[in-house]
Amino acid sequence: MKKSTFVFFAIMMLSFHLPAQIKIVTTIPDLKSIAEFIGGDQVDAFSIAAGYQNPHFVDPKPSYILKLSRADVFITVGLDLESGWVPALLNSARNPKIQKGGEGYVDASLNVPLLQIPTNINRGEGDIHIYGNPHYWLDPLNGKIIAQNITQTLIRLDPDHQVQFQERLKKFNETIDAKVKQWESMLSSFRNTKVIAYHNEWPYFEQRFGLKIVDFLEPKPGIPPTPSQLSKIISVMKRDRIAIIINSMYFKAESAELVARNTGGKVVTLATSVGGVPEIQNYFELFDHNVRQLLSALQH
Amino acid sequence: MRILKTSIIIFAICANSTAQTDSTAVEDSLSLHENEQSIPIGFSAATPLIRTAPSMNPDISAIGDFRSSYSDEGPRNLDAYFNALEVQVSSVVDPYAEAKFLFSFGKDSVNGEYSAGLEIATLTSLSLPFSIQATAGRFKTHFSKVNQLHPHAFSFVEFPAVIRNYFGDEGLFMEGVSASILVPNPWDVYQEFVLDVGRSGATPSVDYGAGNRLLTTAQLNTFFDLSENSTIGFGLSGLSGVNSVEKKLMMTGFDLTYKWKPVQYNTYHSFTWQTEAMLCRSDTADGSTVKSYGAYTLFEYQIEKRTFVGVRFDYSGLPMAERSDERGVALHLRFQPSEFQVFALEYQHADPNYGPAFSQVVFRAIFGIGTHAAHAY
Repeated sequence: MKKSTFVFFAIMMLSFHLPAQIKIVTTIPDLKSIAEFIGGDQVDAFSIAAGYQNPHFVDPKPSYILKLSRADVFITVGLDLESGWVPALLNSARNPKIQKGGEGYVDASLNVPLLQIPTNINRGEGDIHIYGNPHYWLDPLNGKIIAQNITQTLIRLDPDHQVQFQERLKKFNETIDAKVKQWESMLSSFRNTKVIAYHNEWPYFEQRFGLKIVDFLEPKPGIPPTPSQLSKIISVMKRDRIAIIINSMYFKAESAELVARNTGGKVVTLATSVGGVPEIQNYFELFDHNVRQLLSALQH
Repeated sequence: MRILKTSIIIFAICANSTAQTDSTAVEDSLSLHENEQSIPIGFSAATPLIRTAPSMNPDISAIGDFRSSYSDEGPRNLDAYFNALEVQVSSVVDPYAEAKFLFSFGKDSVNGEYSAGLEIATLTSLSLPFSIQATAGRFKTHFSKVNQLHPHAFSFVEFPAVIRNYFGDEGLFMEGVSASILVPNPWDVYQEFVLDVGRSGATPSVDYGAGNRLLTTAQLNTFFDLSENSTIGFGLSGLSGVNSVEKKLMMTGFDLTYKWKPVQYNTYHSFTWQTEAMLCRSDTADGSTVKSYGAYTLFEYQIEKRTFVGVRFDYSGLPMAERSDERGVALHLRFQPSEFQVFALEYQHADPNYGPAFSQVVFRAIFGIGTHAAHAY
C-alpha cells in the first residue's frame, strides 16, 4: 500500500471518532451565550443580532441564510419579537431541521412565566406582542428556563454528551442563583424606586430587582417620543421626584436627555443584550453591568 | 512492516475510545432517566415544543394603495383614485410545503374600470434534497432585481421606466416552475442560482407564445457583507422567450445594490444605491433584429426614523422600436408613521423622443392590515 493512501485512510478512521460540533444559530447574543455555556466544546454558536442592535428590526440579510442553511439548531426568543425578520430567513434557509416544529427548533420562551399578556389585541395600541412581553431574558432567573430548553434540545441531538450538558446546566443554575442573590442585595436599598424608561422592554428586570417603571418616553410601544408625551413625563418626574430615565443602547438619547435636563434627572443607558458594550462578554456580565450602572445612578 | 504496526496502533486507539463509551453506557442511561424525572409534567425531552397561537387559519393581509396626482399632460390635470388593493393569504400546507395567494383589485389606467386579478399563486417546497427550493404556480419572474417586488414594496411610486416599458406597469409574471439552489463557492458567500420555466402573459417585450417555446429565465445572485454596517449584492439575469410576433426574444440584465445601515441605530438612518441595466434583442417578422436597452439608478437616504428621500434616473428604449427611448427623473419624499402606513410625495419627469415630455406630482398613501411577511432584503 502506498504511504499516502495509508495516511488518507488513517485520517478517515480518526475523523469518524472526532466529535462533530452542533452548529447553533440564535437570534440574540444572550441565547448564544447560554447555549455556549451549556454546550461547551460540543457547540459552535452564532448570533444574528448584535448586542447593541434593536432585535425588533434586524435586516434579513442573505449572509444569515447561509448560516441557517448549515445550522443544526436555531434558537429564537419567540413571542413574535422577531416576526419582522425571522420568517423571511427561515423560509429561505432550505433547512427542514430548524423550521418550526423541527428537531433543531428551540423556542426559548417555552415555560417562561410571561408578563403583560394583552387583553386587547389591535395595532391601535402600538407595536404590541400578542403572547406577552417578549423581553423575558432580562430576568436572570428566566435564564434558567432558557438554559433548560436549550439543554433538552442538545440532549436530543447529542445524547452521547447528555451528562456533560446536564452538569453544565447545573453549574449555570448554581451560578445564576448565587449571582441573583448578589445583584438583589446590591439593589435592595432601592426597591420600589420609581423610574422612567424609553421603551417597554424592562418589566422582567423591573420585577426581579424591585424597580417601578411608571411611564415611558414612547407614548405607545414603537411610536417615537412625541412633544406631548415628553411634556407629560417631565410633569410626572417633577411631581413624583423621579430621578432616573432608563435608555437602551439602540435608542438615541436626545429625548431622554431633554427630559433629564428639564427635571434634573439622569439618563442611565443599560444594555439589553450580551455584547451591548464590549465588556459584556456573557449572560452573567450583562446583569453585572446593568446592576452596577443602575446602582451608580441611584446612589448619586 | 512499520505501516502495519502504525495501523494496529490507530485501530487500537479507535477501538479503545469506543469501548470507553460502552463502559459508561449504564451510568448514562440512569442519568438520562434522572434528567427526565426532573422535567416538568407535559414537557418531554423527546419532542421539540413551540409556542404558537392555536389556529389553523392562514395569515391574511390587505394592503391599500391610494393616489392623487397633478400632471401637466392631457385634459385632466388633477386626479385622485384608489389605485389597488392587494389581499394576500399564506400558510404552511403540510410539513413539506407552503402556499401563498395574492389577489389584486386594481384600476385600469386607461378606462378607469376596476378589475380583479390573481397576481401570485404558489406552492413552495420546504424540504427538497441538495438545498433546492422549488416553486410552482404564478409568481414574479426571477429576472431583474426590482421585478421581484410588488409595487407597494418599491420605495418609488412607479417601477423604473425600463421595467414598465419592457414588462408592463406591474412587472413580469410567469406561470410555471422555479427552482433555486445555494451555490457552493470558495469565498463562502451567499450565492443563489434560480431557474424559471413557464409562460408569461402579454407584455411589451415577451409574450405568451402560441407554440412550444417557453419563457426561460436564469438568475445568479451574489451577496457580500462589506462590513457590519454595509452590504453589496450583484445579480446577473438572462431571459429567453418569444415576442408578440412569435419570434425569438432574448434579454440580459445586471443589477447592483449597495446598502448601508448602522447596526446600532438601525432604525434611524440608512442609505441605498441600486442600479440595473438590461439589454434586449428581439427578432422581427421581417427577419431583422431590434436591439434596445434600458437602465436606472436610484439613491435613497433615511433622514430620520420615519422620513426618507430619494432620487432615481431612468433611461429606457422600447423592445420593438430601436430608435425610441425616454429619459426620466423622479424625486421622492416618504414619511412612514409606522411599518403599516406610508405617505409619499413624488415628482416625476419623463422625456420620450416619441412623444411630448411631461411632468407630474403624485401623492401616494399605502396602508396595510393583517399579517404580512417581511419582504426580501
